[in-house]
Amino acid sequence: MKSALRILALVFSFVLLGGIAAPRPPAQDQSTQAQPAQDQSQQGQQAEKDKKKKKGGGFFGGLKAVSGSGSEQQEATRTAGSKSAGEPESGQSIGDVTPSAADRQAVSAMEGYSIPAPEVKKFQDDGLLKSK
Amino acid sequence: MKPRMPLRACRWGVPILAVFALLVSARDASAQFGNILKKATDKAEKVQKAMAPMTLQEEREVGREVSAKFIGAYHLYPDSALTRYVNMVGSTVAAQSERKEISYHFAVLDSDMINAFSAPGGYVFITRGALALCEDESELAGVLAHEVGHIAGKHVIHIVERDKAMRAGVEEAQTHTPGSAYLENMSKKMLIKILDQGLAPGDEFDADQRGVRYAHAAGYPADGLARFLTKLDQATEQGGKSFWTRTHPPVPDRNARIGQTISAQHWEDTDRPKLAERFAAETKAVKPKA
Repeated sequence: MKSALRILALVFSFVLLGGIAAPRPPAQDQSTQAQPAQDQSQQGQQAEKDKKKKKGGGFFGGLKAVSGSGSEQQEATRTAGSKSAGEPESGQSIGDVTPSAADRQAVSAMEGYSIPAPEVKKFQDDGLLKSK
Repeated sequence: MKPRMPLRACRWGVPILAVFALLVSARDASAQFGNILKKATDKAEKVQKAMAPMTLQEEREVGREVSAKFIGAYHLYPDSALTRYVNMVGSTVAAQSERKEISYHFAVLDSDMINAFSAPGGYVFITRGALALCEDESELAGVLAHEVGHIAGKHVIHIVERDKAMRAGVEEAQTHTPGSAYLENMSKKMLIKILDQGLAPGDEFDADQRGVRYAHAAGYPADGLARFLTKLDQATEQGGKSFWTRTHPPVPDRNARIGQTISAQHWEDTDRPKLAERFAAETKAVKPKA
C-alpha cells in the first residue's frame, strides 16, 4: 500500500511539474494585437494624403491656368540662377537629407498634377510630332 | 492490522495515472508544437514576400520617399510654365513606355549640376543645369525618355528585390507613415547605390535603348539623347558636375550603341522636328544670359 501511494505521489508530482514548466501559448498573437493600430495608422496616412492632394500646393497647383512661354515666376526666377555651392554632390549627401513637410507636399503636388490629354495632343500637333 | 488495498486496484492505478500524465504532457507539447509551427509559417511567409516582385503600391512608397529627398536636397525650380513644358515633353515620350500602369510625373530641380534622376513609381527629375545644356526639345525628350526607360525597365526595383535587407525595409514600410525609419534607411541605401556606385552598365545601356525607342516613337529624332550626351561629356571635361559621367558607362560607348540601334532599325528621321525654337522660348529662364 505504501509503495503504491509513493508511486502515486511521484506521478502526480511529475504531472504538476510538467504543467507548470510547459510554456503557455501567448494569450493573444502580437500581430493580431498590433493590427488595429496599424489600420489606424494607415487610415491616418491615407487621410493625410487625400488632404494634401486636395490642397494642391506650390507651383504645381493651378498650372493648368498657365500657358505659353512666359510667366511672372519666370521673370522672378530668371536671376535666381547660380547656387551650385554647397549642393549635395553624392548619393550619401542626398540620402542624408531629411525632407520637410513642404518637400513631401511638393511630391504630393507632383503626383496630383496632370495635363489634360487634349492639351498634350495640341502640344504634339503644334510641334508636328507624329507619335506612333 | 491496517487494511490493505486490493492488489488489482494497485496494479491498474499506476498505469492509468501514467497514461493520464502522458496525455496532459502531450497537450502541452501540442501547444508548443503549434507555436513553433506558427513561427515557422510566419517566417516562410516573410521570405516568400521578400522573394516576390514588388507591387506597384510598394514601388510608389519607395519612389515617394526618394523623390522627397531629391526635392529636399535641391528644391524644385519655382517656374510653373517651365514645369508644364517639361511635363508636356515628358508625357509625350512616357506615353510610349511599355508600363502603362504607371503615371509619370516630371519636375525641374533648382540645381546647376547637369543631372536627371528617376525614382521608382514614375517620378522623373531634370536639373536646371541639364535643361540649360540642351539645345532643342529632341535632346530634352531623349534625356527624359532615358529616365522613363529606367522606370519601365524596373532597374532600381530589381536592385531592391535582389537586396533582401532593403526589401525587408519595404515590407516593414507598409505599416509606417512616409518618413518612417524603415523608408528613410531604405531610400538612403538606394540613393547611395544608384548615385555613388551606379547602376549596372547593362541597365544604363537598356535605358538608352528604351529612351531612343520612346523618343523615336513619339515623333522626335532618335538621336536627341546621343547629342545631349556628347555635350555632357564636353561640359564635364570643362568642370561641369554630373552624376551621369561619374557613374554611367563612357559616353562614346553609349553613343556607339545608340548609333547601332538607329542604323539597325533604319530610322531615317533626321528630317524630324528638333524644335529648337520652341525649346528656346520655353526654357529661356534657365539659359545663361549672353
